[in-house]
Amino acid sequence: MIALENISLRQGSFELSGVNLRLAAGEYGVLMGRSGCGKTTILEAICGLRSIENGSIRLADVEVARLPPAERGVGYVPQDRALFPTMIVREQLAFALVLRKQPQTQIAERVDELAELLGITNLLDRAPDKLSGGEAQRVALGRALAHRPAVLCLDEPLAALDEELHEEMCRLLEHVHRETGVTVLHITHSPSEAKRLAGCHFRMEKGKVTREEKL
Amino acid sequence: MSGPAQPKYRVASDKPFLIGLGVLAGSYLLIIGAMVLADLVFLDYGDQPILGNELVQQGRYTEGEVPVRVERGRKYQYRPGKNEVGLKHGGQLLTGKIFFKAIADEVRLQPRIPNVPITASLRPEAKVIAIALTNHIATLTTDQSHGLLWGEFIRVNDAGKSWDGVHEITDTTTNQLSIALSETTIVPKTLQLSKPNPLVQALRSRDIQFSIMLSLISCTITTLLSIWVAVPIGYLMSRFEFRGKPLIDTLLDIPIVLPPLVVGLSLLILFRYVPDWLSDAVVYKWPAVVLAQFMVACAFAVRTMRVTFDQIPQRYEQVALTLGCNRQQAFWRVIMPQAKGGLLAAATLAWARALGEFGPILVFAGATRQKTEVLPTSAFLELQAGRTEGMLAVSLIMIGAAVIVFILARTLGMKRIFA
Repeated sequence: MIALENISLRQGSFELSGVNLRLAAGEYGVLMGRSGCGKTTILEAICGLRSIENGSIRLADVEVARLPPAERGVGYVPQDRALFPTMIVREQLAFALVLRKQPQTQIAERVDELAELLGITNLLDRAPDKLSGGEAQRVALGRALAHRPAVLCLDEPLAALDEELHEEMCRLLEHVHRETGVTVLHITHSPSEAKRLAGCHFRMEKGKVTREEKL
Repeated sequence: MSGPAQPKYRVASDKPFLIGLGVLAGSYLLIIGAMVLADLVFLDYGDQPILGNELVQQGRYTEGEVPVRVERGRKYQYRPGKNEVGLKHGGQLLTGKIFFKAIADEVRLQPRIPNVPITASLRPEAKVIAIALTNHIATLTTDQSHGLLWGEFIRVNDAGKSWDGVHEITDTTTNQLSIALSETTIVPKTLQLSKPNPLVQALRSRDIQFSIMLSLISCTITTLLSIWVAVPIGYLMSRFEFRGKPLIDTLLDIPIVLPPLVVGLSLLILFRYVPDWLSDAVVYKWPAVVLAQFMVACAFAVRTMRVTFDQIPQRYEQVALTLGCNRQQAFWRVIMPQAKGGLLAAATLAWARALGEFGPILVFAGATRQKTEVLPTSAFLELQAGRTEGMLAVSLIMIGAAVIVFILARTLGMKRIFA
């Protein structure tokens, strides 16, 4: 579950205040808005990458506004995916688990499980620069899901993909959502993409977030 | 009104532009290549004969040829000056630098223009006429003054085991020189003496051996220190915004823009204000060499590391933070592996800068043989002593060291790319 209450933040001349957003546990939320309206900023605030001046952020019933990103239990997939260039796919998927000092066998199990979920079992030993756009997106998703976060934040996950991959990725996201039951916040600037995706929709305009009724 | 057909749009040829690029790039590359090549070909790599006193009298040409008496059967080295056409010898005209055996009792210098100074040189080879051995010290007597100095090296040939090879001269008089030999009591009847080439001389000299060691060690310490300082500063400057950052940015560049000599002088003056025990331990001692190198080399390493970190997007750290890293873990696990190439470049640059550092070392550490003498100091001391060959030999050693380090860095870098 994600609950933002009265969030205000400032970044240079850009300012947001009184932002509210509520997403129930296990829901798939789509946050829509024009480029530059502050969608990514909201996402970064949830992940703890941007400090907020006021308000509260609760993830899975825990107040996280003062916690470091590591302790918030979020999975973050940035728009450029940012796969670590020096690690093979297997290492990327294991990264969060190695940090948590899980036993080797458990890590290997989880990596295999994720690879199967995302259909990347044959890519596990590849370097990230040898992946296509769609493959890189799957790996980034896997890396974000490895530590079983309660919340998954996706920043324009479909933006750089061509038409064909677009549909494939939509189905994959739905599949992942169904299988893991993770609460997803997906941001996009494309109304058609939002329409394609199920779940509850939010629109961001003039610094405010409003929930849209299902059409 | 229907005018004439529009002329077809034409664009000027790319050739002049491309040729221009090629010529500019090519001429610079040519200068670099020629510069290094000149050093390599200037040195005479063969052994040189031991030569006696100059036979050509100083003065001016008056009318015609200048006769010089020579001894039939002895070898002579002729080096023409600016005003000689050559040397007439037994019906032949010798031109250029030459080592020849006299077949007449007289040779004649051929002037180019009358009434100008004589600048040619003619020197006989010094032959060994007596060999003595006492207490492992061999004393060789030559029939000419040999002009060699204590501490120089000579090569002995055709004298048998434990005589043959390069030896350091332990004592000299005008016509005698001593070398230390071990484990032999046999005295050969004859032997051949020659001067080994300057590179061998330099590598055998204890002073230069010391300066090679000091250079290698001090450059390595400097590089490690520079990296140790440059990584945190580069990261700090790349990732954090704070008040006074532009000022700090400027301060970091000061060692780069300041004349190197001034860096040394500033260090020297700074050390007047520190406790005596500290300045006694540093100034004019080897730590001063490291500190002088460090001040300049580190500034370059900082620049390189900052650019390296600037080129790594913050996004990687942000993702790492959400995955469970604290800042330190994100730095070591995600950022540093990506910065390896830049780290290697910074280290190579710092090492090369440190190797070439001279001005600040001269001022702050002095130029004491076997104490604070590094390779550039050796080159300078050789030059001051009038030994161009020695200086060049030291330069070649520095070129060699730099090339080895660059190749090493490149290979390590390659491995990283292909891994």
